[in-house]
Amino acid sequence: MNYKYINLKEGVKLHTIKTEKFKTNLIAIFITVPLTRENVTKDTLIDLILHRGSKNYKTQEEINKRLEELYGAVFDYGIEKSGDNHVFKFYIESINDKYLNDDNEVLKNSIKILSDIVFNPIIKKGEFDEKYFETEKEKLKQIIDSKIDNKDTYSYYRCIQEMHKGKVFGLYKYGYKIDLDYIQNTDLYERYEQIINTGKIDIFLSGNIGDEQIALVKNDKNISKLQNRVAVYNVQYGRSDLVNSETIKEVSESMKVAQGKVVIGLNISEKRENTSFVALIYNMILGGSANSKLFQNVRESQSLAYTISSRYLKPKNNIFIKCGIDIKNYEKVIQTIKEQLDDLKNGNFSEEDIYNAKNTIIASIKGISDEQDTTITYYFGQELSHQKSNLINYAVEIGKVTKKDIINLANRININTIYFLRD
Amino acid sequence: MQILESKKIGERAYIEELESGLKIVVIPKKNFNKKHAIVGIKFGSIDNCFINPKNNKKITIPDGVAHFLEHKMFEQKNGTNSLDTLTALGVNANAYTTDTHTAYLIECTDNFDEAYKELLDYVQNPYFTRENVNKEKGIICQEIRMYEDDPTSRVYQNVLQCLYKNHPVRIDTAGTIDSVNSINKKILYDCYNTFYNPSNIVISLCGDFNPEEIIERTKNMIVQKESYKDIKRIYPEEPEEINKSMIIEKMEISTPIFVIGIKDKPKYGKEYVRKNIAIEILCNILIGNSSKLYKELYDNGEILSEITFEYQSSTDFAYLLLAGQSKEPEKVLSKFIKQIKSLKKKGIQEEEFERIKKKVYGGYITEYNEVSDIAKMFMIDCLEKVNTFDILDEFLTVNLDYIKEILNEVFVEKNIAISIISTN
Repeated sequence: MNYKYINLKEGVKLHTIKTEKFKTNLIAIFITVPLTRENVTKDTLIDLILHRGSKNYKTQEEINKRLEELYGAVFDYGIEKSGDNHVFKFYIESINDKYLNDDNEVLKNSIKILSDIVFNPIIKKGEFDEKYFETEKEKLKQIIDSKIDNKDTYSYYRCIQEMHKGKVFGLYKYGYKIDLDYIQNTDLYERYEQIINTGKIDIFLSGNIGDEQIALVKNDKNISKLQNRVAVYNVQYGRSDLVNSETIKEVSESMKVAQGKVVIGLNISEKRENTSFVALIYNMILGGSANSKLFQNVRESQSLAYTISSRYLKPKNNIFIKCGIDIKNYEKVIQTIKEQLDDLKNGNFSEEDIYNAKNTIIASIKGISDEQDTTITYYFGQELSHQKSNLINYAVEIGKVTKKDIINLANRININTIYFLRD
Repeated sequence: MQILESKKIGERAYIEELESGLKIVVIPKKNFNKKHAIVGIKFGSIDNCFINPKNNKKITIPDGVAHFLEHKMFEQKNGTNSLDTLTALGVNANAYTTDTHTAYLIECTDNFDEAYKELLDYVQNPYFTRENVNKEKGIICQEIRMYEDDPTSRVYQNVLQCLYKNHPVRIDTAGTIDSVNSINKKILYDCYNTFYNPSNIVISLCGDFNPEEIIERTKNMIVQKESYKDIKRIYPEEPEEINKSMIIEKMEISTPIFVIGIKDKPKYGKEYVRKNIAIEILCNILIGNSSKLYKELYDNGEILSEITFEYQSSTDFAYLLLAGQSKEPEKVLSKFIKQIKSLKKKGIQEEEFERIKKKVYGGYITEYNEVSDIAKMFMIDCLEKVNTFDILDEFLTVNLDYIKEILNEVFVEKNIAISIISTN
């Protein structure tokens, strides 16, 4: 695997990942803008409208028929919150021409379709297509309402919301229904132009590619028209903007559920250079695997849960513990979890635990290049945090972490919020 | 050793069937860092009544045993837990149970040899005690509760209850709180000794392997056992018609979700492969995202996103499911049925057929991207006695006449049911 990038324009980068492992080529366009209360709903609506059709592929039907002709090229899109940024993501995955015996020029056409959807929408008199604007507004209402459908993701979002109340990171990534009553089509198009002209644009091309394929992107009609820009976005330094205190915010909410969901938000108040590497190992020992303290003590020895795990959120330097429990066991579960956090503070874990945690993390790093989308996600993460670590350096940094580092970090970690969804 | 090859996509599969009936499949992938191994056992939640080969007596077991067994296999006699051992090696280890099979898998970049030995060791050496069996009940009951709150699990479970009156495919893989509590050590051993038999196992590996070498090594790690060539499974008589045409359940969700089910009859070997292709093509033509019906539903705000479809077929049952989210699922169903009738009457256009065929073909090629997908696909096909590469070759034999035949055979109104999770 060979990763490179070139600046197509100031603020517009083309990243290439050359690999012959896959049957497919994957093209991705990411546009990063700062996340704000003002624009969060507008941005999602734009994302939805774009997928409906472009100047050259006017309807979904037209897009889909064209993709089918290209041997079922798959178009995907979405919008994500990444730290204090909102990221528009568009992908097309299509079969490498090598495996097809006609001259369909699948890659060439895939790039053409993707760039048209993103950069060449149907615009009439400074507005998006009226029908698309109205139907996608309705759809977005339903999407926003649907956040309660999955109790796991809902509880996770609610914990983040409570923990980061009043800050942009606490916003719901799809926005708010109330905004939809006020958004005007003209304003929305203005916002679109602002995104295209000031957002950070990263284009990824992964597959069996060479100069010829790179030229396809460079010379693409829509892409070559992009302006130079000083891209406006938030660099992710991986620092928390919360202050640790001894008081824990406890929030509980009732719904008709058979199982209670607990999400605990931990804050890390540490700014050292290697914090994210130490935090990854801390998290692995706490709740990152079947060997972790949480899995062993909450699930295996006390049968209190089926799922229990923790994840490290690097952009905010937070850790979230999630579990599904019998509602009457709440106190016992919280007590057990607190004991595990104290164990880590007091150094009650072994060198073997550290060794195993490192093994697991290094194995997952080595596996990244075996998946096209994961490789792109990795390099995009590096890009947003202004790091230039390749996969090998990353593994080396993990290897350097010591028990002392982990204990130090553990003592800079506090429970900030406990969220409980119950009946 | 048998070597299968697909020149179209440049892949090979090496298959060795041992005298005991155990099959080893290796799909070598050069330059991949990950190695994946999966052990499949043809024992799923539908196998709840069988003849015990030890004493030739028929036994009926509580619902959820295959899944319970899967949970308990990791525990070892020396007090260790294989999941912990594997995780400590930096290996991603997991297991799952479906209607028709149970699988144990590992995926890793380092320490493969050690991990593989552990995998084969724990799958071949069960250790159940009254204590460790009882301890697991609390964990599995939490798992069942988790699915009870999950609208997606509920909607799928209910559609199978619509389609089937007696066949155990209608029951939940994990069983119920009551059935799980009635499971004991003896039941687990009876099932283990019956189904975890060489004749009923496929081991599939994908990654940067030397096929001859890994097959030889695998053979040396197989515990010799008496082979039961044909395990007698007993399934109840299932009527041809569906059980119920609709189940509606209320849950706390924003927009209703639905699954339309069609009850079908299984086919085997190459016919199974051809039918799978034809059904995928037909679903795309009827309600896929380039179809007229999809456009109409989406433009009217009658569906929220694409309709997904899956066709399941095994020895004893076959069904097709189409899932989506809609404010008015019953309206979607009636339009779908109307569309079927109109397609039967008007016929399928050549252009559309060829275009969809390309799409489906591309989808099959894409399945050869990741070692986990490849290993799993060959394992399942091997358990069902299907050659995975056949799907790429059989494509050429699927023509419009055959598609019409399958349209008339499968898409029959009286075999269609719908399950809906509606809002409170």
